[in-house]
Amino acid sequence: MSDTIDDELWSAVGDPTRRRMLDLMLAEGGGTATTLSDRLPVTRQAIAKHLHLLERVGLVHSAAAGRERRYRVDEGQLARAVAQLSTVTAAWDARLQRIKRIAEAIQREQDRQDG
Amino acid sequence: MKHASIEREIRIEAAPDVVYKVVSAPEHVREWWPDEAAYTPAPGGTGVIAFGEEKCVPLTVLEADPPKLFRFRWAYGEGEVATPENSFLVTFELIPDGAGTLLRFSETGFTEKYAEDAERAQEYDDHVNGWNHFLPRLVAYAGRLVSSA
Repeated sequence: MSDTIDDELWSAVGDPTRRRMLDLMLAEGGGTATTLSDRLPVTRQAIAKHLHLLERVGLVHSAAAGRERRYRVDEGQLARAVAQLSTVTAAWDARLQRIKRIAEAIQREQDRQDG
Repeated sequence: MKHASIEREIRIEAAPDVVYKVVSAPEHVREWWPDEAAYTPAPGGTGVIAFGEEKCVPLTVLEADPPKLFRFRWAYGEGEVATPENSFLVTFELIPDGAGTLLRFSETGFTEKYAEDAERAQEYDDHVNGWNHFLPRLVAYAGRLVSSA
């Protein structure tokens, strides 16, 4: 069933701030709350909260690095989240094509009866 | 919610009242989406759509304005009342286009559970246009995953 989604994982990547964080970490091979808050117009505290959430759903993993924790993206989990979103989008595309086909068939039948 | 929604537009060679029936009436919805659909297609109408024999999903109609707009919430928990926090919002907007119809579809709700984040996120909407921005960057990573697997 293509509509089954991991809601928590999806919500985690559905947020633009977290996507931007993931983007930066992918580009730079990881990051800390400090390095990320330097690059984004969000407080360090807010970034830390986002990182915590991302770690909970497995999108990032952390390791102690000096006084801070350094986070890295789990690319496998990220690919999984993306695949889920693509699947849902593709599912709606297919449904819309079916709506089009059904409506047009009904219209043709009506036109035939009227004509 | 723009950044976290699916939005599509499709032209259909059928009059809006025909398209409206197809997107709203359970007997038609069964043909393009679930295996079973049982609900009243009027505002406040609740019911279920079912996939196979195991998965039964609640649905609540919010707006039904033939032949212009049909809007419902779905995918909340059984026994719950549909809210922005627990469900997906689907909107079909129908615009007359010659003899046919322009059908606008959207599904939103993915980030409403994180309302405070969404508020904060508005600052970035100029920079980050959701998945259009993000997905291309992932292709390379996905390719690397496949090749290293």
